Amino acid sequence: MMDCVVIGGGLAGLTCGIRCAEAGLKTIVITAGMSALHFASGSIDLLGRFPGNALVRNPFDRLPDFRKQHPQHPYALCGEETVAASLAFFAEQLQTRSLRLCNNGNANHFHLTTYGTLTPTYLSQQSVYSPELEKAFFSASCMALISFEGFRDFHIPLIEAHLPRQTLFRNRQHITGTVSLRPLIRSGKDPHEFRSIDISRMFETEETLLEIAGQIKRLAGNAEIIGLPACVGYTGHNRVFDRLRELSGRLIYEIPTLPPSILGMRLDHALKSRFSDLGGVLIEGDKVIGGEFEKGRLLGIRTRNHEFTLLEARQFVLAGGSFFSGGLSSAYTGMREPVFDLRLSYEKERRKWAGNLFFQPESHAFLAFGVETNERLNPYGADGRSIDNLYCAGAVLSGYNPIREGSGGGVAISTGYFAAEQILAAGKGAGIV
Amino acid sequence: MINPDNISFDHCIKCTVCTVYCPVARETHLYPGPKFSGPDTERLRIKNPDLYDESLKYCSNCKRCEIVCPSDVKIADIIRLATTNHPERRLRLRDLLLSSTDLIGRLATRMSRISNAVMKLPPLRSLMQLTLGLSRERAFPRYARGSFQRWYARQSEVQDRFPEQVVFYHGCYVNYNDPDLGKAAIQVLNRLQIGVQLTREKCCGIPLISNNRIRQAKRNARHNIAVLEKAVVERDCPVVLTSSSCCLALDHEYRNLLALPSDLLKGRIELLTGFLYRHFQQNTPPPLKPVRLKAAYHAPCHLEHMGGVMHTIELLKRIPKLDLRILHSECCGISGTYGFKEENYEVSQAIGRHLFEQIDAVKPDIVITDCETCKWQIEFNTDYRVVHPIALLAEAMEQQDVR
Repeated sequence: MMDCVVIGGGLAGLTCGIRCAEAGLKTIVITAGMSALHFASGSIDLLGRFPGNALVRNPFDRLPDFRKQHPQHPYALCGEETVAASLAFFAEQLQTRSLRLCNNGNANHFHLTTYGTLTPTYLSQQSVYSPELEKAFFSASCMALISFEGFRDFHIPLIEAHLPRQTLFRNRQHITGTVSLRPLIRSGKDPHEFRSIDISRMFETEETLLEIAGQIKRLAGNAEIIGLPACVGYTGHNRVFDRLRELSGRLIYEIPTLPPSILGMRLDHALKSRFSDLGGVLIEGDKVIGGEFEKGRLLGIRTRNHEFTLLEARQFVLAGGSFFSGGLSSAYTGMREPVFDLRLSYEKERRKWAGNLFFQPESHAFLAFGVETNERLNPYGADGRSIDNLYCAGAVLSGYNPIREGSGGGVAISTGYFAAEQILAAGKGAGIV
Repeated sequence: MINPDNISFDHCIKCTVCTVYCPVARETHLYPGPKFSGPDTERLRIKNPDLYDESLKYCSNCKRCEIVCPSDVKIADIIRLATTNHPERRLRLRDLLLSSTDLIGRLATRMSRISNAVMKLPPLRSLMQLTLGLSRERAFPRYARGSFQRWYARQSEVQDRFPEQVVFYHGCYVNYNDPDLGKAAIQVLNRLQIGVQLTREKCCGIPLISNNRIRQAKRNARHNIAVLEKAVVERDCPVVLTSSSCCLALDHEYRNLLALPSDLLKGRIELLTGFLYRHFQQNTPPPLKPVRLKAAYHAPCHLEHMGGVMHTIELLKRIPKLDLRILHSECCGISGTYGFKEENYEVSQAIGRHLFEQIDAVKPDIVITDCETCKWQIEFNTDYRVVHPIALLAEAMEQQDVR
């Protein structure tokens, strides 16, 4: 029998799986397709805006107040100490796979978006935030924005249009340029067909890297910082990043692109590799379709590939994500959690689900809908009783609005970690750990 | 015409995740990737099947696109169906030979000493590349002396004596190339007091499907379904396999690609590793002898697609002293008959390179994998011996020799 089965291989599920596997538990993570990390910025938001729309400078200073105002919020259930410990754990685990995450002490920092706006976040890869980059941003007189010929998922004019609104960039000179990939493509493929991953792979070949770096250096003129779409290598990012810096003689700054997001994929790759290194079993491309319960406990689950075999475990974690990832499903008349039909917390009146404007400051109500849990993150079954060996983590949870608060990554990591801590405590009681 | 049973292409949100993880698209720009070849152009093909695109041939049918798709689009099936709905006017002799595993196997096992020696001759291989389009660089698989079925014929009485029985679908590889693997499977099952029955099976059809011989594939499928249904009903027992690709054919392709579902076989076809995983959980597992080897495990694409990797790994973890290293899962590049073709040789090798580098970094004593064509590809490209998990398990089990 397995000690722990985690349903969902995104930020929450993998953080939980790594914590369990690291403590020596026999752990499985099951994922149905690649996670939302492939669509994310690759930075970890903790608490960006509170109260209301006000920018948060130091999230840990604000968390006690935030908790008081939102007693059902996942951060309130986990507690500040767990939130802090989980983020430190997360950064440590990625560091073992040589993916360095930086933060601005206990304060938030900003990252530039594809749209040219600045978003507050807490942890970023070294190409997005580092103390060195921060210093340079304040002292540099000129920044270059460089993209690739034909690349459709990153538009410099769009960024330029919004830059003057940001205090940091208002009075700073910037130059722009486009790298020509045509001479480097032997296959006759048109560079318009290239996506972020194709360009990332071109960076990873020394021969093409030399050519691209040469062009970038010429285009960058007297700029001290070179801003590029986040395509500077995928699994070989560290080497490419250092090499590009050396060849261009400038600081390299990555700006997230439209999906597939290489920044998010680096996290995904590092987390999965770490989980496997620790002996965890990753089952990809399978979907959990239901479970068997006995006396308020989940005995085992069935998946699409193993419909006729019950996968048994002592503890389970549901981290299947929100509507986008299929962890929650909605119809015009209502919504449900599709695997176990757990009790949900959501507004029954349909017209209150969303506001009239796509981008409105107060965001949309449906983003806070999700599974209702007790203070240990155990959900409630159809009979109204809590299921004590099932924990919920990440976007499947109710009680928080990741868009309005800027808290998606932080909640995923801290609830995934919190669930693991309780599984470990239960395991200690049973003499397993 | 829109087939209402297959509208999964409409669930595609154009995220390109499939193309990111496609091993072929990674190595050649000539393949536009699964998103374009599958759901994107399916819209056009529904209007007019002639809007078929030659680049579809680059798809190796590894099915990794379906594993990674967040929207549950049956990308590989869409591509395969588009290719098979648009067969070439004339079947190439090369494709006929590559996909006739039964016929070639039967001939080659009868005169294995000659056929194995002849296939090594460089002039012949050059000639085959020129006349047939089979890659000159490739080493062709060796054939056994005498088939597995002939060996089993002398065994069947012994097998009948066991109280519990399973049907073993051995596939062409065990029958013609590696009867020892079939013997190992029988040894393991007998050790658990389970007898093994064979049927008059034909090739599962995977090579036929890959080479667009759909009519023949359907003929084989109907035959196999009939003989397996009969055996399963008669003995009320499951069908087990050692080959992951045959298992994919029987359990997935018959239903989804050839539209030949079988209610009687539903849930009764599984890999022997999955069967043993469950058996060991439900019964007292037999003692295993230590195997003092460092082993690198490679998960075949089709096993990954069926979700069977966990079973193999958990079984291997039971073997005492086996130093097991799980390789990061990626395609070896051979994809059945794909890598044997002249036009695919380079891509196939480029795909596999990443896996070979991983293996070299581990420096194992052996490599373990469940798939015969992965085995050929790894042995062709590295110096390591490649072993099937069942063969290793048989070694670890106490001797009760059936050979």
